[in-house]
Amino acid sequence: MTAAVPDRELGAQTAGPAGEGPRPPAGDTARPLTGVAPPPTGGASPLTGGAPRPSAAPQAVEVARTALDWVYDHLPCFALPEDVLAPDVLVDRTWKPLGELAQLGDGIRRHTTSGPARRRAAELLEFAWGQTRRGSLLLEQLRAEPMSTYPLEIYAAFRSAGFRHPAFEELARTLARTRSWAHTEQDPTRRLGILNAEHRTGLPLHAPPLTALHRTWLGSLPEPWMFERSAGYALTHVVFHLTDWGNAPHRMPPRLARYLHHWLPAWLDSCLEEELWDLAGELLAVAASLPTPVPARTVEPAWARLAAAQDTAGGLCEVGPSRRDDTAEPGFVHCYHSTLVAAYAATLTAARLYGVPPVPLTATVLPGPETAPPGDAP
Amino acid sequence: MERSEAAARVAEAVHDLASDVVSALKGGDHSSARNGTAGTEDDGPWLAAVRMLGPDLLLPALVHGRPPHPQDVAACRRAADTFPPRAGSSPVTVWSHWALTRMSDHLDARPVVFEAPAEFPAGHGPDHDAGPDHGAGADGARDAWPAAVPWQQFTHQLALLAPLAVPGDTATAAACGHAVLAESAVARAARQRPVDLARGFVRAVRRRDWLQAAAAGRWLAVVDDVPKTLGLDSGLDFVLLMGGSDPRVDLHVHAAQHFRAIRSAGAGREDATGVRA
Repeated sequence: MTAAVPDRELGAQTAGPAGEGPRPPAGDTARPLTGVAPPPTGGASPLTGGAPRPSAAPQAVEVARTALDWVYDHLPCFALPEDVLAPDVLVDRTWKPLGELAQLGDGIRRHTTSGPARRRAAELLEFAWGQTRRGSLLLEQLRAEPMSTYPLEIYAAFRSAGFRHPAFEELARTLARTRSWAHTEQDPTRRLGILNAEHRTGLPLHAPPLTALHRTWLGSLPEPWMFERSAGYALTHVVFHLTDWGNAPHRMPPRLARYLHHWLPAWLDSCLEEELWDLAGELLAVAASLPTPVPARTVEPAWARLAAAQDTAGGLCEVGPSRRDDTAEPGFVHCYHSTLVAAYAATLTAARLYGVPPVPLTATVLPGPETAPPGDAP
Repeated sequence: MERSEAAARVAEAVHDLASDVVSALKGGDHSSARNGTAGTEDDGPWLAAVRMLGPDLLLPALVHGRPPHPQDVAACRRAADTFPPRAGSSPVTVWSHWALTRMSDHLDARPVVFEAPAEFPAGHGPDHDAGPDHGAGADGARDAWPAAVPWQQFTHQLALLAPLAVPGDTATAAACGHAVLAESAVARAARQRPVDLARGFVRAVRRRDWLQAAAAGRWLAVVDDVPKTLGLDSGLDFVLLMGGSDPRVDLHVHAAQHFRAIRSAGAGREDATGVRA
């Protein structure tokens, strides 16, 4: 079996304080294209179970709740098959969804302080860890494919959530010391993800993260009008890996944050118009991962669009028209990822924009920026 | 059927006239309206095209630094008189008419002297003269002007008013009357929202709406504080190659490139990182 897991969701996590962000860009008066209902006042958040707040994010909170319901109701679909270690098993249909469940479930749990959502997220993680036979299957997979990086990337999500398998870590540590590991041929974005996985697992980093960042599409601060779908997925994952999935926004170099503040609204608009719900959800997660999150007036209309695209069970297809009035299930494979992303991004939005503090689990961070990408100042 | 045929004739006339203007911009022809047949009965579509291109008929004069051809000024005047805004006309219609009228008035009022005015003619625009706020048939135009609309709509509407996107800080602009346009409330709104305009440029390219992209790029060429990461110069080249078969795209991109050249003359455009404005 080869490491066929696309670089989506296999990443890492640590907690850290939200750094001071850049000021809103000059001349930035972005306003919502469509209106949303004014937020209710004084209601307790169903997501956080916290005290009544003067302001809430009705659409994001509702998407977080309903999407998490969908994931919870579809947990059996994430189960690994009995023959998951067989050489011909498709990683993209087995390990990848489970790894994403662990990754995004951890993100949801970290940004939910109490209440049913936190309990459900914890149950998701227990389920996923149980599927790996508490890490044993991951060790077996690594033994079968010592050259592959995805077992470590998946393990790192569990490690971030507090689960450990010492024998896996021992083998991974040995492999990570090799020249072969350090020079595995990979996309720059994927390499950044592996660096974060190393960090989460407590392994020495095989390269400086900012050097890896500068080799990515996003790291070059590219012309924003060249954005397209694959570039979009690359950029969202650069941000996920760099900020440890929204847990360490302060890791982002200020110029990159300013760049994203400038151009995220345009890309989000584009994805919504093209009904690319999965990528729109990831961009919304990025918007909530910046040192200063993209403001509510920009993201709330987008959340309204995503909410309208959900089916009645809370599922969200990766692309295409709303299935609100469609009784037929679109199929797990077509909507599990986008629904997980929606639940995660909505939880992160509620936490970052509306003041729900993340749960600190670890305090370590990647080495800070020594150099910054090319300038973005007007 | 007649209606669509008439629309097709106007579209054809716009195409031809824009091509003439581009030719004058590139080749230095004296008059933009070289095919104009002022006064004949059959020039309705052509006159409508003049009304649609508006002050851009006089753009070659600005670019080449010489007085507008009287024939072009007369055409602008006649188009403005023939197609006044009606009650309830959109702000875009009202403003484009204001621009055409104001340019014609400026050039009719006095012999063109190509010297910088002693004092910059500040204050032009609807607040200070017979512009959209006070002109016939323009009731409510001030309220309707979308200063607070979302960036998508803002860019769309400014793109329709791209002939107002001119640099106002040159002697030629002052002499030709273009400085009046640069001091309009529309231009002021553009200067206040460079990032929103830049997002609109990105959106237009993503939508492959080359005309809107070219028009937005033209506005970006005359405002300050555009994020350098936009890569406007490359963007303009790209839009021209992708959409330049439409002479209106060619016109806006050519204008934008010219404006950028004269605005950057003498100023260091490259920062230390090599990322250009």
